[in-house]
Amino acid sequence: MQNYDISNKVLEFANKYGADEAEVFLSANQVTSASVRRNLIESARNQQSQGLGVRVVKDGAVGFASTNIFNRLEETVKSAIAMAKIRDSDGDWKNLPSNGKYPEINGIFSKKVNELELEDCISLTKEMIDGVCSFSDIIAPSGSFSRMISNQLIMNTNGVEVEEKGTAVSGFIDVITTSDIPSTAYDFRISRDMDIDFYGIGKEAANLANSCKNGVSVESGQKDVVFHPFAFSDIMESSFLSSIEADNIQKGRSSLTGKLNTDIAARGLTVTDDGILNGGIASSVSDDEGTPSQSTGIIKDGLLKSYIYDSYTAGKEERSSTGNAVRGSYTSTPGVGTRNVVFDHPASDIISEIKEGVFVTNVIGAHTANPISGDFSVEGRNAFVIKDGQIEKPIKSLMVSGNIFELLRNVKGAGDDVRMVGSIITPSIWVSDMNVIG
Amino acid sequence: MRESEFHDVRWVEGESTSILLDNGKIEDINTNYGNGCGVRALCDGSWGYTSSEGVDGIDAAIKTARELASDVNKHSPGEKVTLASYCEPNVDNLPSIKENPRDVPVEEKVELLKDLSNNASCKGISSTSASYSESTLKVHYTNSEGADCEYELTRVGFAISAIASDGASYQVGRESNFDVCGYEMFRDPGILEKAQSAGKTAVDLLGARQAKGGKGPVILDPELAGVFAHEAVGHASEADLVLEGSSILADRIGEEIASPLVNIIDDPTLHKFGYYPFDAEGMQSHKTDIIKDGVLNSYLHSRETAGKLGGTSGNSRSQGYSAPVVRMSNTYVDNGNSNLDEMLEELGDGIYLAGTRGGQVNTGEGIFQFNAEKGYIVENGEIGDLVRDVSLSGNTLEILKNVLLVGNDLKMHSGRCGKSGQAVPVSDGSPHLLISDALVGGVQ
Repeated sequence: MQNYDISNKVLEFANKYGADEAEVFLSANQVTSASVRRNLIESARNQQSQGLGVRVVKDGAVGFASTNIFNRLEETVKSAIAMAKIRDSDGDWKNLPSNGKYPEINGIFSKKVNELELEDCISLTKEMIDGVCSFSDIIAPSGSFSRMISNQLIMNTNGVEVEEKGTAVSGFIDVITTSDIPSTAYDFRISRDMDIDFYGIGKEAANLANSCKNGVSVESGQKDVVFHPFAFSDIMESSFLSSIEADNIQKGRSSLTGKLNTDIAARGLTVTDDGILNGGIASSVSDDEGTPSQSTGIIKDGLLKSYIYDSYTAGKEERSSTGNAVRGSYTSTPGVGTRNVVFDHPASDIISEIKEGVFVTNVIGAHTANPISGDFSVEGRNAFVIKDGQIEKPIKSLMVSGNIFELLRNVKGAGDDVRMVGSIITPSIWVSDMNVIG
Repeated sequence: MRESEFHDVRWVEGESTSILLDNGKIEDINTNYGNGCGVRALCDGSWGYTSSEGVDGIDAAIKTARELASDVNKHSPGEKVTLASYCEPNVDNLPSIKENPRDVPVEEKVELLKDLSNNASCKGISSTSASYSESTLKVHYTNSEGADCEYELTRVGFAISAIASDGASYQVGRESNFDVCGYEMFRDPGILEKAQSAGKTAVDLLGARQAKGGKGPVILDPELAGVFAHEAVGHASEADLVLEGSSILADRIGEEIASPLVNIIDDPTLHKFGYYPFDAEGMQSHKTDIIKDGVLNSYLHSRETAGKLGGTSGNSRSQGYSAPVVRMSNTYVDNGNSNLDEMLEELGDGIYLAGTRGGQVNTGEGIFQFNAEKGYIVENGEIGDLVRDVSLSGNTLEILKNVLLVGNDLKMHSGRCGKSGQAVPVSDGSPHLLISDALVGGVQ
């Protein structure tokens, strides 16, 4: 059965069993990947997944069920309706989205990526390893290449019918020096098109591990810290992004509740949630419940301008959705989540402006942050001393702690090295008064 | 082109239900039916994997996996893999299910979550969320060496979190329990006490001050010490990481790497959340002494790593239809002889770190970082003020050597462990540990 036929069948069953509204989210993905183990390609994989989630509304209550067994569609729909019947009618529930005007987005599907053969995947993986091996005493313990082709169809009883195909390629490599005291690093790139320098991924990772040999210790204190896009995006994802989601605002689980149109960040810092960014990893014509994607200004020049909404949280405030319904997979109901998040700040040669500070390439432990209070404490990795406008010695180990909302107010500048770290797009960010423990 | 000489097939069938209650109201209720298979093929030193969901084309999946393995071998031949020999497992140690969760009406489960939420909502709590989950998983394993075995496992669990707010700041308290058992877990009134404790933690943390960072002696509570055993030691003992050059424990078997008081064990045969009767390669599960009396005794193995390094396999695991990876199960620091009072007295002045908000580890360099849920200042052996935002970081081997006393109050906690993009159920635990010197992160 084709995707449309399957989805139509689900909507028919929903109608037959008395649903007032119904929606099918069907996704079919194919991932081809190769894994690196100690400088060799250890394996190749081909993973196919296809399944659907059905959301039904019955007497103002929502039910959900999912399956990948397409001869159990009727049972799945019945189960979703049974779930709805258990719930009380929800006064805040309005409707499933209706058919809207969908934007045109470029660079989501690449013919070249779609047509990659296994042999191509293997040779791109080899390029990463070659990049690492351009340094004699560094090896790649692990790494991976992957190519994804995704296909998504959303249909509902209010006329939404939106299908989209996407592609993505990514390369990831871990490296370690073979010296007595090992030094590690990694590098990672992802794109929807064939524009990644895979050799460069290996070489940059190796170069970083190489420059981190013989680290020194630093004194503890309040310092200027420059966060590489890897470190900055990791911290933001764990401690900031959930605070702009409308469900957290409405439930009192965000420190940004009631802060609209107030200064929450340094002047110069602009943050945009962008579902229509050309070539963006989280770009698509619609969100995961069929609302047209859009670009939403979150912070403009330090001022908090908007939260992000799906149709349910938007309905609660009698406003429209910002196209931020997101699902982890077809097995989950949509919830509010960010799309591509773009951090923007006037760029300058920030290192040269810093007399004393540290540069942190990546961090471990960001996910241990307290996303409500915004407090975080992370171990800085591949970090360097900044002295008199220059990057100097590598730092053996340090911890950086603070509060994300204070950090946003203490942003002093940004580099010109804007990078797409998954769905977060940011340059290196210079922050003053960070708490560094050496 | 060479043909693959080995393949295996894991067929997985599952059914799961989850319920999420937010501030006493049903936020999400979700049922999933799924099936699919993961197939591996080995050609000399190259692996091919396929996985397909919901399709019954196992033969096609085997064919593709074999082709992938041959292709990789042709374009990028690796070192020949010799798998440790196969032995059919005995599936005779399955946990008993006293009350099948599928026989309990959903309404009753919703009531249970409401009870938990009410118990967590003490004075000062501004919101709560409670979740319930149940799953039944059937695994059928076959391979080209004639293996044919299967098991069915039921897992249930709950999580509760409570948020306290004074308008200006927020603090969270969390408790959870997941296990390989039936609905009888929820007949124990002790779970309501857990919910109360989540509420109390959040409220207490709101009134707590921030900790001062620095180096010094610490006591770790069983939960945080268990996270250390799992994250810092357990991962480094996974033989795939050892072989790829990402483990600080490589080439150290037989070496005294810890205080002689330290014993760290991985045991998938225990009826805890990390239990399994046989692993993802159809091998019998068994207990492994990772560290015995301070000496590194064994790594955790798959058939491939056991074939290379020697040792017994039985720690290959996978999530759903994904490719098997060397993983832990139930990992813990074994009991010692000390009680908490003795440890506090020995500590004198220092900090007592309790609970966890997770952590991360660099197994290659042997460096870790864990955030505790809370800490207490200890002065003259007396537990004093509560502090928040405390973390523990350092060097795995240094901390292991710095263990001064091991408690006699082992406690396990359940959770999920992520590796290679796959999450599998695990548990970890420890008695209280006294560490002579550690780096505690906080504010200046």
